Amino acid sequence: MKPKSYWNPYLAGIVLGLVLLGSFLIAGQGLGGSALPKRTIALVGSKVAPEASAANPVLGGYLEDDSNPLKNWIVVEMIGVMMGGFIGAVSAGRFKATVEKGPRTTTKTRLVYALIGGIIMGFAAGLARGCTSGQALSGGALLATGSWAFMLMVFAGGYTFAYFMRRQWT
Amino acid sequence: MSGLFPLEFLNEEAHLLTGILMGFFFGFTLERAGFGNARKLAAQFYFHDMAVFKVMFTAILVAMVGLYSLVAMGVVDMSRMWINPTFIWAQVIGGFLLGVGFIVSGLCPGTSMVSMFSGRIDGLVAFLGMFIGSFVFIVSIDWFPSLARLYVAGSMGTSTLPDVLGVSAPVLILGIVVMAGLGMIGAEVVERIFQKRRQAVELTPAPTPRARNWKFALTGSLAMLVVGAIAASPAPPVVASVEPVAIEPLSLAEDLIAGDPNLMVLDLRSATMTENGMVPDALPAADRAAALPYLQTLAPDTRVVVYDEVGIRPEIPQDWPRTLRYYFLAGGFEGWRTGVLTPVEPASYDLEHREQVARQNQIAAFFSGAAVQSSAVSAPPPVISSGGAKKKKNRGC
Repeated sequence: MKPKSYWNPYLAGIVLGLVLLGSFLIAGQGLGGSALPKRTIALVGSKVAPEASAANPVLGGYLEDDSNPLKNWIVVEMIGVMMGGFIGAVSAGRFKATVEKGPRTTTKTRLVYALIGGIIMGFAAGLARGCTSGQALSGGALLATGSWAFMLMVFAGGYTFAYFMRRQWT
Repeated sequence: MSGLFPLEFLNEEAHLLTGILMGFFFGFTLERAGFGNARKLAAQFYFHDMAVFKVMFTAILVAMVGLYSLVAMGVVDMSRMWINPTFIWAQVIGGFLLGVGFIVSGLCPGTSMVSMFSGRIDGLVAFLGMFIGSFVFIVSIDWFPSLARLYVAGSMGTSTLPDVLGVSAPVLILGIVVMAGLGMIGAEVVERIFQKRRQAVELTPAPTPRARNWKFALTGSLAMLVVGAIAASPAPPVVASVEPVAIEPLSLAEDLIAGDPNLMVLDLRSATMTENGMVPDALPAADRAAALPYLQTLAPDTRVVVYDEVGIRPEIPQDWPRTLRYYFLAGGFEGWRTGVLTPVEPASYDLEHREQVARQNQIAAFFSGAAVQSSAVSAPPPVISSGGAKKKKNRGC
């Protein structure tokens, strides 16, 4: 099957905006993309080191009411994202085991950078209490002050370091 | 103000089920936008494919304008909405770092999942990296007190831009729509320049026609402006609370005798208590919501005096018209009983004091229907007009 073209960005934006609006109306909160790693660590931490986990400023909040930290709307929503991404890719003929990389880089370099970038983002999403989905997109639409500061700084960080990463992408 | 939305769920499982559903649409849309492809996301930072900006800001505009329009219509209750709390320094530093991680990995946390599930190995690796990074942060915050301080630095609670900037939400939203619209037109121009060197990132060589993108950006912005203007027209609900001002029983009594047409008295007590007497002309309003339609018929600046039994400063309900002036009776009905209905004996021979006492006793007699107490000063007060007196007396306590 020949892969389909991507949607027009404005059309995709309108659909995404309606999904976000639906999420506000139905669940009373926006969409997220970084709770799963943190809450998985909270679950493991509560079994391995219960006292230290409960005392941790990040994990403590997830463990307060003694319920399973993965029994959370954003965690379930992230599982939905994976399902939606999978169905979307398969139905568009885009599902393919491959590595996306720029023309001037090797697969190995690309994967090393993907790992480093992932680690930085995990750290950053912990510090900022959210990522581009939960803060920039959802908090942005709610006009939350900190979310707008976050959003502008994401673009600032990306553009600042784009020069150093140019060999990977262009 | 209580809107229909956000929905309330009877059990947690039903609520969680909606999470799967919304997440599914989210992931599907991200994939269709091309956001499972790290090259397309990274291209944002090299200006030759600005889809990240276009998709993200279109989505923010749609959700923002839609949500605040529904709030203005009273359909959505924002007090039940979870709004990201602001920790400004944690978010500024965290945001910058996330931007760095974004350009290094070519993905952001949400899109790494889409990338992984469309078969991309780099997406899987970035997603695993997120677990490591989250773990590093969680451990570091225990090890480094300075990081723990940064985590809570600049805490502002639930803070929104209209509060911080001191502009109303509709005005700010219109401003954001205009800025984003200009940004999108700018993005089209920038793309056109940079695409002379590099193409837009497409998995298949089927780029969307440029002219259609222009039309989309323009019509989208215009439509958003129209919707935003409609949303801006009804005044946003004012949440400032109204503090009722105390009014002395005698002062209220004088105003009632004078027959002030712009005066309204509401009795907030329950029916069992009003049986034992009410302030004349007072309207029973134990059910504050039931009083609302009546209040809405009053002319602006009408004085509304509310009272309970003992004179506790009451909360004025949020939906009562803000055009009226609210007072509460000092001492409540008890204050009325002792201050107005009970005759008093003069405590000194001071002429002024005795005049006051006489006046008070006339008022007491007027409202209680009792005979005027004998008094040294007995000139009939001119303020008591016979017509007004008759009218009041019929409904006397």
